[in-house]
Amino acid sequence: MPVSAIRTITKNQNGVGAFILQCKRIDFHYCDWEGSSKGMRSFLRSRLADFARANPAIEINVSPRPRKQPILRGVYVNGRDKQICVRNMEPTQIIKKCELLRDASGEPLRRDTKPVKSINESVRGVWSPYHGAQFKI
Amino acid sequence: MNLPGSGILVRVSRSAEMDHVIAETATMRLVKMAVLAFQLAGCEYQPPVGDQTCLGYLPRVADSSQGTLHAPSSLQPQSSQRPIGFSPSSSSGRPPPSSPSPDDFAHLPSPPYNVARDSPRLAALHARLSLPTRFPVETLQRCLVDASADPSPDFNNASLALLGGDLLAYHVAEHVLCRYPRLPMAVLFAAQYAYVGPAVLSQLRQEWGVELAAAPGGEVDPGLLVALRVEPGTDLSRRVGTGRPNEEKHNWRRGMPSRIVYDDEFGDLKGRAASLVKSPPPGGSDGASTLPVSEPTPVTVEEASTSFVRAVVGAMYLHCGRISTLRFIYNHVLSRALDFSSLFSFTSPRRDLVRLCDREDFDPPVARLISETGRHSRHPVFVVGIYSGRDKLGEGAGGSLNEARTRAAVAALKGWYLYSPMEVTVPSSVEGSDKDKKWIPNYVDPGEVIV
Repeated sequence: MPVSAIRTITKNQNGVGAFILQCKRIDFHYCDWEGSSKGMRSFLRSRLADFARANPAIEINVSPRPRKQPILRGVYVNGRDKQICVRNMEPTQIIKKCELLRDASGEPLRRDTKPVKSINESVRGVWSPYHGAQFKI
Repeated sequence: MNLPGSGILVRVSRSAEMDHVIAETATMRLVKMAVLAFQLAGCEYQPPVGDQTCLGYLPRVADSSQGTLHAPSSLQPQSSQRPIGFSPSSSSGRPPPSSPSPDDFAHLPSPPYNVARDSPRLAALHARLSLPTRFPVETLQRCLVDASADPSPDFNNASLALLGGDLLAYHVAEHVLCRYPRLPMAVLFAAQYAYVGPAVLSQLRQEWGVELAAAPGGEVDPGLLVALRVEPGTDLSRRVGTGRPNEEKHNWRRGMPSRIVYDDEFGDLKGRAASLVKSPPPGGSDGASTLPVSEPTPVTVEEASTSFVRAVVGAMYLHCGRISTLRFIYNHVLSRALDFSSLFSFTSPRRDLVRLCDREDFDPPVARLISETGRHSRHPVFVVGIYSGRDKLGEGAGGSLNEARTRAAVAALKGWYLYSPMEVTVPSSVEGSDKDKKWIPNYVDPGEVIV
């Protein structure tokens, strides 16, 4: 066997080529009666259609959740979900939360200490003490 | 004893009573999903009649557009064997109900085509993949029906997946071969597997946000991938129907030339797992009843995902043409990152390098020490270069002279095999009516080093 191969798979680079929106579904839960859902009910009547039209890649489910606080639940392609309670919020605040869910990747929030990440090899290479001009005393 | 310190507090007030009454008598309705599907505007393209993607949904459009489209009934799929949802052309004569319940389709093996337009999940998938409006959601729904769920070739994705699989294999092969003309055959198979193998297509299905239905049936959401899955613990190692002459000898060695002839584009065996293929009943020589066509074979999730992604590519080719398909394959498959140098595995790189230099009439390779430190210490480092005459072929660093020399030989071999021409014209880029692009022949290599 002169040369054999190691099987691997290609790595996704979302946005290089195709971009897939990571949020695949948003569930809107509201209560018909409670005061904390007042803003949510108004949002569902007036704003939701525009939001859905602007984001066709997101499946939108609306369902009542009687006697509970209104919540938004985003489901992501990585299998995770994100819930936001929107009790006592105005429609303008709720639409901000919807945009937050839409723009999220679904990954848990974590602090990035290194701002640049890359799968590419460094162009400059790793410094080596054995190459280049040697220091002579 | 309604004193503040008694621990018993009875609130008697009119507003409290009213709140209580309202809370008790709040109108309770059944919890039901309200579905908003705004995404379907502008997707009314119908494939030509007689096209193999035509699912027989032309009459529905003809009804809505006051008879401007008339499909001859002879070109419709034969729906006599099986009712296709609530087709207006069915013999029952009653008007189609506006919103049929999913339970009406429970007797079908897969969801009927005419519920595809009512599924927000399918519409969202259509938009998420940025499919053109010429790609109908009905075809997308058909792509989601695996042959294991619905054995009828009119309704499953087998034909689309066959076409899409060939397209994917061809375009990846030309992409890899033209850019890296010296890749050995094993690495070429591995590269093909890395781009369009079942593992990566299965992952692609996940990244597209497509989920699997628990079990096939007509009542499932059309946006779910429908497949009959294998039982856990099924042995999938032995395969039958591979096309190899001695396929019952499953532990025979398979060399590279025979893989090119007999096996699939990844060098893997064709055919199905032996435990899943139903053996014909003994003495079953009674003609056509023994044909294994109507018996669905269960598949793994990986196989179902593979056929779904391939079917989307095949349907893209049929509905939207070659250019759109090329762009789709580039955007979703070829734009993924792959480090080709990580695909190699050498067992005797120094010997290979000697044979290579011999074949190419280079001077025999000589390893020379370039630099070293701490030879007698706990962690010595040696930097060794491999030279052919005055040319340095490769360089490697290691903890011993032998390791550094081997690493240098591997670097030299990878430098040879991973040669990539600056200008590449892939054959598919000059096909069609694109006259301004000129065919420039590509570099063809004599092949890998035979030891």
